[in-house]
Amino acid sequence: MYDSVILRSVARLMLPILLMLAVFMLLRGHNLPGGGFIGGLVASCAVILQMVAFGPTFARRALPANYLAIAAFGVLFAGVWGLPSLIGGQPFLTSLWLPQPIPGVGKIGTPVLFDVGVFLTVVGVTTQIALLLAEEPLLFPTERGPADGEGAPRA
Amino acid sequence: MLASIVLITLAAAPLGLLARRGPRPLIGWGLALLPAATFALLLAQLPALSGEQRLVEAIPWAPAMGVELRFTLDGLSLLFGLVISGIGTLIFGYAGHYMASDPGLGRFMVYLILFMGAMLGVVLAGNVLTMFLFWELTSVTSYLLIGYKHDYSDARRGALQSLLITAGGGLALLVGLLLLGEAARRAGVPAGEAYTFEAIIGAGEAIKAGPLYLPAMILVFLGAFTKSAQFPFHFWLPGAMQAPTPASAFLHSATMVKAGIYLLARLAPGLGGTPLWSGTLVLVGGFTFAFGAVVATRKLDIKALLAYTTLSMLGGLVMLIGLGGKYAAEALAVNILAHALYKSSLFMIAGIIDHETGTRDLNRLGGLRRFMPGTTVFIALALLSQMGIPIFFGFVGKEIMIEAALESPLADPWRYAALAAIVVGAVGYIVAAWRLFKNAFLGQPSPDVLQQHVTDPHLGMLAAPAVPAALSLLLPLGLLPFVSQLLAPAASAVYGHGLELDLALWHGVNVALGVSAAAILTGALLARFERQLAGLPLSLPIWLDGAKLFERLTDALIAGATVLTRALQNGQLRRYMLYTTVSFLVVAGLPFILYGTASVRLIPDPQLQPYEIFAAALIPVAVVATIRARSRLGAIIAVSVVGAMVSLFFVLFSAPDLALTQLLIEVLSTVFLVLVFSVLPSRFEILSSRWKRSRDAVLAGLVGLLMTGLVLATSGSSAFSSISPFFLENSLAKGKGHNVVNVILVDFRGFDTMGEITVLLTALLAIYGLLRMRRAAPRPPAPSPSGGERGQKEGI
Repeated sequence: MYDSVILRSVARLMLPILLMLAVFMLLRGHNLPGGGFIGGLVASCAVILQMVAFGPTFARRALPANYLAIAAFGVLFAGVWGLPSLIGGQPFLTSLWLPQPIPGVGKIGTPVLFDVGVFLTVVGVTTQIALLLAEEPLLFPTERGPADGEGAPRA
Repeated sequence: MLASIVLITLAAAPLGLLARRGPRPLIGWGLALLPAATFALLLAQLPALSGEQRLVEAIPWAPAMGVELRFTLDGLSLLFGLVISGIGTLIFGYAGHYMASDPGLGRFMVYLILFMGAMLGVVLAGNVLTMFLFWELTSVTSYLLIGYKHDYSDARRGALQSLLITAGGGLALLVGLLLLGEAARRAGVPAGEAYTFEAIIGAGEAIKAGPLYLPAMILVFLGAFTKSAQFPFHFWLPGAMQAPTPASAFLHSATMVKAGIYLLARLAPGLGGTPLWSGTLVLVGGFTFAFGAVVATRKLDIKALLAYTTLSMLGGLVMLIGLGGKYAAEALAVNILAHALYKSSLFMIAGIIDHETGTRDLNRLGGLRRFMPGTTVFIALALLSQMGIPIFFGFVGKEIMIEAALESPLADPWRYAALAAIVVGAVGYIVAAWRLFKNAFLGQPSPDVLQQHVTDPHLGMLAAPAVPAALSLLLPLGLLPFVSQLLAPAASAVYGHGLELDLALWHGVNVALGVSAAAILTGALLARFERQLAGLPLSLPIWLDGAKLFERLTDALIAGATVLTRALQNGQLRRYMLYTTVSFLVVAGLPFILYGTASVRLIPDPQLQPYEIFAAALIPVAVVATIRARSRLGAIIAVSVVGAMVSLFFVLFSAPDLALTQLLIEVLSTVFLVLVFSVLPSRFEILSSRWKRSRDAVLAGLVGLLMTGLVLATSGSSAFSSISPFFLENSLAKGKGHNVVNVILVDFRGFDTMGEITVLLTALLAIYGLLRMRRAAPRPPAPSPSGGERGQKEGI
């Protein structure tokens, strides 16, 4: 959308870095600043940066994913990890932890997995809203809508 | 077992989809095994329920609040449960035949099973809250049943009317039941049990003496009267005949409308006997009794005629509950059974007539006895029972009803009024039944009938109405001892003390027999002139005509809602802002000015650093810059400065998580703003008047002042102890994490987060719907440049 060589070069470079940062933020969240919410926002920033630099069509192609499904799956995933505690007769969402930490990842328990669900929801919701707005033909009549088929980023 | 009966029935509802494929009549009777099994299970409990014994089952739900899923079975529940499952068995089998060529039978059976489950829930519930849950479920499922033929506007209107009336009454009932529970609690019942029927009835004397009795009873009456179609809420019941006949037969004879009767009968031993109770019930019930019977004699549609006799009988039952006393309790039990038998049979036969001839209009029928001999016999049996002719079960019911009026503990005028209502009802039933039988089955066949190939239906279909019709004759002839044994526990439960029931056909020559004979003679005399009677001009004054009142009320409501919506939601964002701000100022500002200003405190911070002052001072500067900005990009940048400074404060006060989140949100919202603003003109134009802008400035300033005041008042408040130490202490120990904010989010307050991400997803779905679903419609023309500016009137 913004035809800028600098922006495009940086955006290309930043995509993997931001995505790795997002996962990093998610995993460290339980002990250090970060977490699913922040990680999710960082990840969607990565996609939105592509969108700003190349337009929504390219952004969809760079990370071909159904963000609506990701968001829905996230809510489901988060909710599912509240269920195991019910088996032990404890209330919904009571935390359960593995006894030993897993090397490189850290301690794993249902709250961490719940956080993954939050992460997925935030990524899905934020990215999808941004893409929906950018693809809106009433707002951007020159930009090709999805109905017109996929096109290369506008030069 | 009780909980299983209800829950398994509800869970078995999808089995109804089996009826989508053939052979449908067979599948209908196959599905009938479900209620048949319930019937058998319940009947097996009869020996255990002699006297006042009961079975109780409770599943804890929210134990801290005394809410449990509680089921009890006593004589009254058993009687209703047997009627529901017994008639249900026949209805299921009948529906398979009646709707054999209806493509929606599967869906219909699902509704029917759900409805039956809900109804069983109502009569087996052991506390008022459990009962209310199922009570509302019957309202919803009956809505689905009545509106089954949703492509007819009459069906939709009938369904909506019944839902609004019964669910509206349900709301009143809920409050009434809560008041009763509260009254029981005040009477010394432990909070955990206060909502059980036993506790409310047990504390009945104390409740009656307390101040909550009057409001609670008025609300409970509203709930019961709307559900049981008592005058002036009766009009939804004739509207409900829009349902397919199997459903209306079920609704009218055994279920739905009997829920209100059940509730009143259930509460009678504890809360009955007061002037309020007896007066209201005898008055409303008695009037409905007579009114329904009179209107029934004037109807030409068979189902409408039957619907009015139903609401008449419901009035009779309500009146009996009001009369009180031993005989009234017995009469109630007998008449519930008698009515369920003949009315289910009559409705199912009405369906057969409709099915065979294609009409229910008495003017277009006639001479059916030649073509449908079997049907003629069974409808005659059912009608004779309804008319209360001797040796039929209806006669037993009527006799004991007259007895109940004569022996009632109430004062004379009430008893005679009740007696008069019974006589009017009995005469009306005879005239209505004769009108139905003569015009449909006797005389010359009408052209409509002759054109069709009218015969008796398939045996599997005729069997359904034949069984209850035959029982109306067989029960009094051979099985009265068994019936007495069955009904005695029910009557005991209504009476409140154990009683012996000994029904008999012949009580010797007494007053009741005389009244009965007089009613039959009068009825026979009047029946000769049924046409002339129906021609008499009778109409209700408008202020008593519930249907018209209801129509006007709903019309007015919709008109009012439209006006309000137009005023509030005119599509202009600044108008919404104005309403929101003014409401906030009134709702939060007034209490603050009245009560809160004293707690505003300025706490000087001795460690305040110069750079903190600098960052704080930047915020108002940026705000003013946003307002004064002439270009959109400038405004966006100025707003970002505010966000950045707020993030900075989070860093300064060591909240890195908040700072990170705030910063990311700032970045994203800036991107969104740029995205949207990039298609708008790059400069603001001021289009609103000076006066409007000054007004907005004043309002904005006031909100700012109010917020400042609120923050200063709450930060200095010590009304509540801080919860922060708890989280700081337990974060590592219980949450196994050093990052307290994150532990709160995913563990301590995980449920909140669950809710929040659900909200996020819902918001996304809404946006998706707004932007994407519209594309199915023809695409609007691309906006012209002037179109872009039109949205910009008066600036931002």
